[in-house]
Amino acid sequence: MMSTVDNPMVYGGGTAIQILIKQGILFADNFVDLAGIPGLTEITADAAGLRAGPMVTARGMETDDRVRRVAPLASTAYRHVANPRVRNTASIGGNLAHGDYRLDPPPALLALDATVEATSVRGTRSLPVRQFFVDFQQTALAPDELVTAVRIPAQPTGSAYRFVKYSSLSANDWPCASVAVLIAGREVHIGLGALAPVPRYASFDATGMTDQAAVDAALEVIAPLLDPIPDVRGSVRYKRRLAQVIVEDAVRGAWKDLDNA
Amino acid sequence: MPETPEKTSRQDWVGGRRARYDALGRVRGVVGHVGDQPVGTCAHVAVHRSTQPHAAIRAVHTEEALAIDGVYAVVTGADLHKRFGEALLTGPAFADQPALAYDKVRFVGEPVAAVLAADLATAREAADAVYVEYDELDPVYDLDTALNGESYVHDELRPSAVFGDLRHLDGVRDTNINYEYRLRHGNPNKVSGARTVRGEFWAPPTHHVPIELPCTVAWVEGGRLEMLTTTQTPSYVRQTIADLLDLPLSRVRVTTRPLGGSFGAKMYDRLEPLAAALAWQFQRKVRLAASREEAFLLTTRHGAAITSTLTADAGGQLSAATADVAYDTGAYADVGPRITAKSGMVAPGPYRIGSVDVRSRCVYTNKPSAGPFRGFGVPQVTWSHESLIDELAHELGEDPYAFRREHLLREGDLAPMGTRMHSADFVGCLDAVAESISWDTQPDRGTGRIRRGRGVAVGVKAVLTPTIANAVLQLNQDASATLMISTVDMGQGSDTIMAQIVADVLRVDSRRVHVVRADTDVTPYDTITAGSRSTYHTGNAVRAVAESMRVRLLALAAEQPEQPEQHGQPERSGVDTGELDEERIAEIVHAHFGARGATLTTEANFTSSWSPYDKETGRSEKVTEHWFAGAVGVRLAVDTATGRVHLEHLAVAGDVGRAINPALVEQQLTGAAIMGIGHALFDQLVLDQGQLVNGTLLDYQLPSIRDLPDELTPIIVESPHDDGPFGAKGVGETGILAVAPAIGNAIRDAIGLRFTRLPMTPEAIVTALESR
Repeated sequence: MMSTVDNPMVYGGGTAIQILIKQGILFADNFVDLAGIPGLTEITADAAGLRAGPMVTARGMETDDRVRRVAPLASTAYRHVANPRVRNTASIGGNLAHGDYRLDPPPALLALDATVEATSVRGTRSLPVRQFFVDFQQTALAPDELVTAVRIPAQPTGSAYRFVKYSSLSANDWPCASVAVLIAGREVHIGLGALAPVPRYASFDATGMTDQAAVDAALEVIAPLLDPIPDVRGSVRYKRRLAQVIVEDAVRGAWKDLDNA
Repeated sequence: MPETPEKTSRQDWVGGRRARYDALGRVRGVVGHVGDQPVGTCAHVAVHRSTQPHAAIRAVHTEEALAIDGVYAVVTGADLHKRFGEALLTGPAFADQPALAYDKVRFVGEPVAAVLAADLATAREAADAVYVEYDELDPVYDLDTALNGESYVHDELRPSAVFGDLRHLDGVRDTNINYEYRLRHGNPNKVSGARTVRGEFWAPPTHHVPIELPCTVAWVEGGRLEMLTTTQTPSYVRQTIADLLDLPLSRVRVTTRPLGGSFGAKMYDRLEPLAAALAWQFQRKVRLAASREEAFLLTTRHGAAITSTLTADAGGQLSAATADVAYDTGAYADVGPRITAKSGMVAPGPYRIGSVDVRSRCVYTNKPSAGPFRGFGVPQVTWSHESLIDELAHELGEDPYAFRREHLLREGDLAPMGTRMHSADFVGCLDAVAESISWDTQPDRGTGRIRRGRGVAVGVKAVLTPTIANAVLQLNQDASATLMISTVDMGQGSDTIMAQIVADVLRVDSRRVHVVRADTDVTPYDTITAGSRSTYHTGNAVRAVAESMRVRLLALAAEQPEQPEQHGQPERSGVDTGELDEERIAEIVHAHFGARGATLTTEANFTSSWSPYDKETGRSEKVTEHWFAGAVGVRLAVDTATGRVHLEHLAVAGDVGRAINPALVEQQLTGAAIMGIGHALFDQLVLDQGQLVNGTLLDYQLPSIRDLPDELTPIIVESPHDDGPFGAKGVGETGILAVAPAIGNAIRDAIGLRFTRLPMTPEAIVTALESR
């Protein structure tokens, strides 16, 4: 159907599209509503991890027992999206396809090494989330491709995680900085949101490190990734500072859980 | 949603906690607002807005817009100016604002042309197709350029003909200062102080953001201009439109629906002059509805810069206060000159101070116009005086609470501007908040990342004076009543408390009292619903009209033979005991007219008076009918790593004279405090070269439920006013006055840094901590 109408746009939950239409910066002639297509709202879980359809809501990811069990970091990040009303409508496929640098789930999906299943008339391909965010509000999706699933590997047993989101003005505002940290085995995975034109990812081997050494290493690996956009929420300088604070908080918090495990 | 009928009880009368009559309807969305009303066939209006902050209009090209299907007409400012002449210029203090700009534009976003079309989308498309040629003029982006530069937003000043005290400003050229108020008492320059504190304060422009957007529908019927509009000022709008269209008042009808919030945003001249001009020009129904983004351009709160000092003498007494205040009123004066005087006169604060010198100026710039906003300019000067006295206390090694308490004005004291204090219990309010936040218990200030502090602040504001209120009461034979007043219920609960007043006087169930919404064909003149004036002024008129009805009923009863068999109370006589109830009222009216459903009508007026400011000193022995006194106490924590402020407890107290409805008073105090939290911490309009940067709800910052203090305590203080209805005064603004300085003072207590610029964002706090 996407190939038969002029200038189409997929319509999932509509929470982002409605805003863009109101702002007058979305130019699509036809909207293709996914709500009626069967099978897009399913979550399945196996030993490898989760597969969630694109029309699963943020609220669904937040509350689903399998998501909470298999990838609690993802569940936590989705819980931070907007407010319950939006979460009950916003789709996870649309959230990814939007490609906005400030959204909550991408840092978690980056840390978790999720993959996006993209489908077009040419077939289906798999895109690692770590290669998905190409440029400011631009993803690796081709114009005729649709997100048909998100695959999230199971968090290894014994792993620890943190999602920290910080708004600099009203508490309910977009984040000024957000971070997801997953410590699995010896590897520390860090996803960053709102701190560069795209969500960013970094990792390092923490073998033999103390918590302070891990914090120092984390701050070192994120430093080259920071490229914040100055706006009413803060200057470049302030956002860089915040990045250091939340990454330290998140790494330290996760490390503590590891120690306590 | 009808309320559950219950037996009449004190809860429905004065002092009772009756819920708002429309609470459920508002929450469930079944109260019809102006924008919800079906209007039938009409022309939808969109406006083309200026892209320039300051420019002469060379040409407006409308051909392309006119060629679009569904466009009925495109009107330019020049078209309207040709038709209406100088009457096109309106405003509450200065006649300086055209419904559409015709000679030059004065801010980015100013309406230049209007499109009438079959639907709003077409109208907007056509508005975009209008093309304007400008000759750019030097822009005046800020107060400094306005006061020291050589570019003028208006070529000459045009005070409204209504105000004699502005007449001397008529035709004044080469200035951006449209009004200056001066208060002088004693000689502060000669005071040699033991200690002087000084500050340069800034409070930024903000926006009201009522949830309901402004909307106006205007049409012509029977040679009359009729209008349904979102306004707090129906009587004012009626007069403005009569003047604009040169019609007698009887040929203008302004009606409202319940407003979904306003806070000053829907006052005076907003969409109404343009809607009236277009409806009259084309003799057809027009509908103007502001989008959220357009609403940000309609009016704002004044940004204000205040340079001030406070001096204590060797004995610790407050010997002198000075303040140089500049209100940035944007492109049009609106009510800025009134704000400048009313706020300037309280700039020293509610303290016993030997000498004062205040200069308060209202200044044009090329920004969206600033007008009334909850607090009417007073929160900006409160930010100054409550920061100064706090700092002075610290300098002198005094406790900030005790220091204020010692110097606050008491009942009967003359304030610095010359008016006596009555029913303004500052000490009571301050004591109440200090007790509520356990002032005597030192906070655990901390030594690590999280630091804690506590702060208090006091606020004083005058009620709008002089003003006029009228009420007409129609008593129905079944002892229900219909009250006609022009007070606009915008969520503050005025309809509910006015019904409580009537019910209390007549001893009937207040839910049987219907308040007719403002309709200038029906409801009598009322100055405005603003300035927290309604409870006192309209409340007095309503009490009087009900008293008058009571007297009338008792007189009728006296003429009627007793009917003891119906009551089983042979001794009872209405006249002797003065007792009425619903049954008795029904009998009296029925006996008088011999008919069911008959009505009795009474009317009443209440007018307040003042003494104008002395031309030399700015003082007045009665500058206001009464005072609002409030105080705020805060306990908070500062995260020194992020700069984020977390409010642990905020207590807000207001002296309301007497609470007609304590539940509604508490809600007003609470709502005002929440709004004040936004102003203290993050709420501001950001402009870059005259362009609004954050004029959408994606970017504009309002307090969310998660920004509320862990504990928020509203406290009612009652120091009855001799002339208030049952001793009552209003409360709409009291709670907002002292919020920002109380928070600033608590931050000072927590981290030892004094902030003078609002808002105190996390970035500002972190930056200050780093540069310490």
